[in-house]
Amino acid sequence: MKKVGTPEYNLQDKLKYHLSALSTAAKQVALPLNITTHYPRERRRWPDCFRGYILFDPERCISCFQCSFICPANAIWMKEAPSNRYYPTLDYGKCIFCHFCVDSCPGGALKPTKIHDVAYRTMEEMLTLTEEMVEPPEIIREDKVFVDYVIDTEDLSLKRTKGRDNLIVEIAPSQGVPMVSQCVDRASCIACKVCEKVCESGAVSSIKDEERLIVKMAIDAEKCTGCGLCVKECSMQILRLVRK
Amino acid sequence: MIDISGLVNLMIAEQVNIPLLYPIIYNFVLKIPVIGNIVAFLLGIPIIRYLIAFILWKPIFILLIIPGFGTLGTMLLVLPWLERKLVGRMQWRVGPREIAPRTRGSIQLLADSLRFLCQEVIIHKEAHKPYFLQFPFLYFLPVLLPLLFINAGTIGRTLVPIESEYALQLMIALISLMPVFILGVGWSSNNRFAFIGTVREAFMYFAYEIPFIIAILAMVILYGTSNTVGVVSAQTSWWNWGIILNPLAALTFFVAAVMATARLPFEIPEADQELAFGPFIEYSGIAFGLAYVMAYEKMYVLSAIMTMLFLGAGSGPAIPYVTPLLGDLYYAILFVIKTLIILLVMVNLRGVYPRYRLDQGLRIGWGAMLTLGLIAVAWSIVLGVVL
Amino acid sequence: MENKNAHIQFLESGPLAPFKKWAAKWSLWPCHFITSCCGVELAHAFACPRSPQAPITLNLGISRQSNFIIIEGTITRKMARALQFVYGQMPDPKFVNVIGACGERGGIFWNSYNITHPSDIVPVDFFVPGCPITPEALLRGVRALQDKIMGIDRKTIEFKTVELPFVELEERKVPTSPKLYAPTPAIKVDVKQEVDWDFGKELADTIKKELNGLYKSVTITGKDRIAIRTTPVNLLEVARKLRDQMQLDHVKSVNVIEVPHERKFIVEYTASSYSVEALMPVLVTIFTEIGMKDPKIPSLTSVWESANYCEREMHEFFGVWFEGNTWMGKKFLLAPDTPDLPLRKEFKIPEERYVFEKDVTPEFMVPIEPPKDLYVPIWEEFIKDAYESDEIVVPIGPHHAGSGHLRVTFRIKGDVIVDAIPEPGFVHRSMEKLAENKLYIQNIPLFERLAINDPVNMNLGYVRTIEKALGIEVPERAQYLRTIMAELSRIEAFYYDSGIFSLFFGHTTGFMYCMAIREMIIEALMRITGSRSGPSFVVPGGIRRDIPDDVLKMIDNITFAVHKRMKKFEDIFVTNPVTVARAKGVGVLTKEDAIRCGMVGPFLRASGVNHDIRKVSPYEVYDKLDWEVTTGDDGDCLGRFLGRLEEIKESVKIIKQAGDAVRGIKGPILSDAILGEYKEAASDIKGSFFRVFGNLVLPRGEWTCLTEAGRGTLLFSLISDGESNVPYRVRVISPCWMNLRGFMEAVKGERYADFWAVYGSFGYFPPEADR
Repeated sequence: MKKVGTPEYNLQDKLKYHLSALSTAAKQVALPLNITTHYPRERRRWPDCFRGYILFDPERCISCFQCSFICPANAIWMKEAPSNRYYPTLDYGKCIFCHFCVDSCPGGALKPTKIHDVAYRTMEEMLTLTEEMVEPPEIIREDKVFVDYVIDTEDLSLKRTKGRDNLIVEIAPSQGVPMVSQCVDRASCIACKVCEKVCESGAVSSIKDEERLIVKMAIDAEKCTGCGLCVKECSMQILRLVRK
Repeated sequence: MIDISGLVNLMIAEQVNIPLLYPIIYNFVLKIPVIGNIVAFLLGIPIIRYLIAFILWKPIFILLIIPGFGTLGTMLLVLPWLERKLVGRMQWRVGPREIAPRTRGSIQLLADSLRFLCQEVIIHKEAHKPYFLQFPFLYFLPVLLPLLFINAGTIGRTLVPIESEYALQLMIALISLMPVFILGVGWSSNNRFAFIGTVREAFMYFAYEIPFIIAILAMVILYGTSNTVGVVSAQTSWWNWGIILNPLAALTFFVAAVMATARLPFEIPEADQELAFGPFIEYSGIAFGLAYVMAYEKMYVLSAIMTMLFLGAGSGPAIPYVTPLLGDLYYAILFVIKTLIILLVMVNLRGVYPRYRLDQGLRIGWGAMLTLGLIAVAWSIVLGVVL
Repeated sequence: MENKNAHIQFLESGPLAPFKKWAAKWSLWPCHFITSCCGVELAHAFACPRSPQAPITLNLGISRQSNFIIIEGTITRKMARALQFVYGQMPDPKFVNVIGACGERGGIFWNSYNITHPSDIVPVDFFVPGCPITPEALLRGVRALQDKIMGIDRKTIEFKTVELPFVELEERKVPTSPKLYAPTPAIKVDVKQEVDWDFGKELADTIKKELNGLYKSVTITGKDRIAIRTTPVNLLEVARKLRDQMQLDHVKSVNVIEVPHERKFIVEYTASSYSVEALMPVLVTIFTEIGMKDPKIPSLTSVWESANYCEREMHEFFGVWFEGNTWMGKKFLLAPDTPDLPLRKEFKIPEERYVFEKDVTPEFMVPIEPPKDLYVPIWEEFIKDAYESDEIVVPIGPHHAGSGHLRVTFRIKGDVIVDAIPEPGFVHRSMEKLAENKLYIQNIPLFERLAINDPVNMNLGYVRTIEKALGIEVPERAQYLRTIMAELSRIEAFYYDSGIFSLFFGHTTGFMYCMAIREMIIEALMRITGSRSGPSFVVPGGIRRDIPDDVLKMIDNITFAVHKRMKKFEDIFVTNPVTVARAKGVGVLTKEDAIRCGMVGPFLRASGVNHDIRKVSPYEVYDKLDWEVTTGDDGDCLGRFLGRLEEIKESVKIIKQAGDAVRGIKGPILSDAILGEYKEAASDIKGSFFRVFGNLVLPRGEWTCLTEAGRGTLLFSLISDGESNVPYRVRVISPCWMNLRGFMEAVKGERYADFWAVYGSFGYFPPEADR
C-alpha cells in the first residue's frame, strides 16, 4: 500500500513551482511538442483494422440473417433483394460501428472500410440500401498528406507522407466454418414445412411418402449454405448444424 | 531626405494662410524625416495641408495614431491572434490557421467581429433595457481617456497629448471609474450569474485598486513628480528604468494590472466555468463584441502605463540609420513594442495558470500585494534619500 | 418547428450578404452544450491532436454569444427541454449539427423510453454518423456546414448503386426473432451453490446467530456471496444488526426485481464492508418479497445512507414506496413526461425488426409536442426558505460551461454553499430496461456506453459477470491482454477526468496535455480493436481477436511517451501553486463520511480506506503482477487527484509487466468452453461470432460481480431465469452513481467556486452515473 500525501508549499516552494510552470510554458513556446494534424488537408492513417463504413459482397452472402440478429442497435434490416434473397440494408443513423455483424458474417460478405468522416443533410439519406453497399462510396476528400503516429521509446512523433491513404483496405474475407443443416430426429418431424419456407437456397424439399401417406423433409447437403435459419425456426427443434 | 529647415521654409512660404500658427505648428509637429518629402509635398496642396498639419500635430498624432487609437485598433486585431497562436504553441497545437492559411489565420478576429456585428442583439425581458444598452458604450470613455496623458517619448522628445502636473492622479481616477460600469452592466443584466460576477468584480476592485495606487505612488515618490513628462525624463537609459530601481513596485503594478483586467490567474469575476462570463452573460451580438474588446483595451492602457512608469517609455538605444530616419516615430514605436511585450506576457499567463478563488484573490490583493506595495514605497523613500 | 433554412435566408438578405456569410462561415462558436458521451470525442476534436481553431473555436459557456450547437448524442426527455431553451437563447443566425447515432435514429438506444430525436426539437443542419463519432467526422460536419453557409449544397458521400442479380424464387418465410423469452419464468435470487468457501460457512453461521429469528433463510449463493431472506417487517432490524454486529457499513446496490406473474416484487439490498478486511470481498444480499399491490417497505436510509439515491431510483422505476426516504413521490432521474414506472415488465418498449419495409416508419418513443417548460424540480418552500434566511438559490446546469449534464441547485449564503440538491438523469438512457430486451452478447456495446472514456473496464465488468455465471475459465494469454487493455482504459479515464479538472480551473493547457496523452492511449486501443473509444472487444471467454506483437511493442513504447508527457503535465498543472491553492483542503470527505456515503474506488482510497477490488478479490492477472494500492489520508480534492495520478503510475507499471509476460505466452485467446465446436475461432472470432455467442443462456439465479473500473467499483448484477437468452433483470451500479452521494456531501460548506474543484476531483461523468 502506498500513501499519497498532499504537498504543503512554503514560500520557497511556491517560487520554485511558479518558475517551473512558467519555464515549462516558455519552453513549449520555443520548442513545442506539437502533435496537431490539420484534418481536412491532412488525414491520420488509421490502422487497417479500423471499424468504419461497411461494404457488402452479394456473391458471398448466404442470407443467414445473422448480421441483423446480432446488431445491438437494430441498424441492419434485411431487404428483399431482386434475387428474392434477403440482403442487409444498413441505417447509419443507428449503426454504432461495433462490427459484430462483420464478425458474425459466416461467408465474409460484409467488409470493413476505413471511411468514417461523413455528414448527412437528412436522416433519410442515412439509410443505405443493399445496392449502395456493394461498391465503395466516394467521399469528399481534401487531404493531400497522411499522417502516422510513430511512437518510439522517446516520444510520440508525427510522420507525414505525401499522398492519399487508401480507405478501402484489402482484408481477406474470413472463410468461416462450412456448416450444413441436418435432421437429427426425423421421426419427430411434423412436416410443418417451416424449414422449406425459410430456406433461401432451395436446399430443403418435401418428399411425399405415398405408402405411409406422410410428408418428409429432405435437406440437400450440396445446396445447403449452412445459414442455420431452418435450425432456428424448426418448431420441433430437431435440426442441427453440423460440419460439412 | 529633406532638411527640416526646408520644411520650415516651405511652411513660412505658405504663411499667407495661418501666419500666427506656424511657429506653434512647427514646434508641435511630429518630425519623421523618412516621410519628410511626402509631408512637404502634401503640405503644399491646399486644404489637404490642414489635414496633414492636424494629423502630424504631436498631441493629435499621439492620440490618434501611435500609441493612441490607431495602434489600439491594430492591437485589438493582432493581440487576440498572437495570444491564440502563442497559447496554441504552449498547448502543443497551432492556433487559428484554417481562415486564410497564407496569413496564418491572422484575420480570424476580423471574421469574429464581423460576425458579432451582423448577429442579432437580444435584450431579454428581465433586463433593465436602457442601462443594459448604454453601459457597454459608456464603458468606452473611461477606458480610452487615460491615453490622453501617456508619454510615449523619451527625454527631450516628449510625445504626450496633454501635459499635466497631475497626469498620474488623473489616470488613476479614470481607471478607477471602469469597474463602476462593469457593476452597471452586471446589475442591469438581472441574472444570477451576472449578479455573482458583479459582486466578485466589486470585491476584486478594492483588492487590486489599493496596491495599484500604492505602486504608482512609489514611483511618484521615486521620480519626485507625477507629471508624465517628468516621469519619462527620469528614466534616461535602461539602468535607471523604474523596473530596475524599484522591481517590487513593478511586480505589484503588473499583478494589479492582471487583476484589473481579469486575466488568469485572476479571472475571477468572469470565470467561464463558474459564471459563464459573469457580468457579460446576457450580452449578445455587437454588445458582447464591445465587452470582449473592452477587456483588451483596458489591458492595453494599463500596459502602456506600465511601460511609461517602469520601462522608460520610448527610451532605448538608437540604431544607426534607422533612428535618424524615423525621428520621433522611432521612440513611439519602441514604446509600442515594449507595451506589446508586456501585453503578451499578460495574455499568455492564460496558458500557465489556473484561476484563483475569490477569497484567495482577495487575500493576495489585501495581503501579499499590499505588503509588497508598502515595501516598494519604503524602498522608494530610501532610494530618494540616498540618491 | 421553424423553417429549417430560416437562418440561411437571414444570412442571404441585405446588401452585406457576402460579408455576413463569410463571417458566419469562419466564426462558428459552439456553445457548451455537452449532452452525452460523444462529448469525449468532441474534446479530442477541439484539443491539440486536431486543433481546428479557425472553422470553430473552443466551446463557450454561454448560449447568448454562440451561434452553433453541436448536439453530442443522446437527447433525453429532460435534456430536450434544456436544448430547446438553449436554442431559443441563441441569437440568429444559428446552426445545429448532430453528432453520434443517438441523436439521429437513436443508435443503440433507439427503443429507449427516455430519449428523443433532436431533429424533432430544433432544426438540424447536419447529421454525423458514428457511435461515438471520430473527431474527423465531427470536423467534416463542420466543413459541410461551412459549405452550406456559403450556399454550396453537396453530399459528403456518394454511393454507387449496383444492380443486383435477379433470380425468381418462391415466397420465403420471414425468420422470427432470435430472442427467447420465458413466459412465466421462475425467479430465484438465492440459488444455493456448493462452493469451497470455509469462511463463508462460518460467516453464514455467525449471521444466523446474530439474526436469531429475524431471517427466513441464509444461503451461500457463490464464492463471497451470501443471501439473507427476510420479511419486510424485520428488514430494518436485520439491516441494523448487520451494520452494528457484522460491520457491514455500506450498501453497494439496491435492487428491485419484479415478478408480475406472481404479483410480487423482490427487494434486495447488497451490503458490504469497508472496515473489516476479511469482509471486503463479501457481498451480503438481504432480500424480501412484497406484494405488487401497494408495495411499501421500510427505507434503510437511516441505517445505510449510501442506499439513499438507489432507493429513489428504484422508487421511480418500479413504484416501490420506501417509507422513510424523504424523496418518495418526487422525480429524481426521470423527466415529468417520461412514462411512469418504466422498468415494470408490463411497460413494453418497441420490438426490434429484422426485415426492411419501405413505408414503415419505425416507432420511436418521442414526444409529439416539443416540451414547453423548463422543468426544475425545486419546490416552493425551498426557495421561500432560502429567501427568508438571506440565501440565494443558484441552479447550475445542465447547460453551463462547468456542469456537464448534471443540474445542481445550490443554496448559497454569502459565498458558501449551504445546501446542494443534485438532479441527475440528463443522460439517463434506460440501460437496465434495454438490457432486458437484448441478447446477452448484444449488451456488451450497450454497457460500454456507460463510460465511453473507460470502455474496457465497463466491458470487462459485464463480461466477467457472464463468465462467472457460466463458470468459464479464460485462457491465460487473454487474461494478460485483458489486463493490459483494462489498465490502458483506466489511464484513459484518468486523463479525461484530469483534463476536465484542469478545465474547471480555467487551465486550458492542462486540458490539452491530457487530451494529447489520451490520444496516444486511444491510438493503442484503436490498433488493438479498430475503434477509438467503443472497442466492444472483451467477450465472454476471452477477447475478439489476438493482439499482434508489434502492437504490444507499441503499447510498451507508449508507456515511455506517456511518462514523458506526464512530466510536462505535472510541471504546468499538478505542481502549479495555484492548483495546489485551489484544491488543497477543499471538499474534504473524512473516512467516516466516505464509508457512510458508500464511496468507491480512488475517491474512497483518498479518504484512507484501503480497498481496491483488484486486490480484494483479484481477477484476470492482477494477483500475478507486482503493484500497489494507492491510498491517502487527506480526502480533499488534491488528495483525490494526486492519488489517482499515483495510481496511473501503478497502471503503467502493470502494463509494462503484463506486456513483458504476454510475449512469452502463446495460446488461444478464447476459451474452449465457449467456442464449442468452432475451434477455428480460437485466435480470431471473425466468421463465427453469432454462432458462438448468439444463444448464450445463463443458469438460473442472481450473478453479481465486482470490477474495479477507472473511477471505482463497478457492480453488475444479472438475474437470469435459466431459460431465456435475454437477461431477466440487469442491475448496474456504476462508480459515478455511487460517488454522487459523497460528491454532494463534499460540496456542502465549501465556497461556490469550489464546486468545480470538487466536481473535477471526483471525475464525475454523468453518462456513467445516469446509465
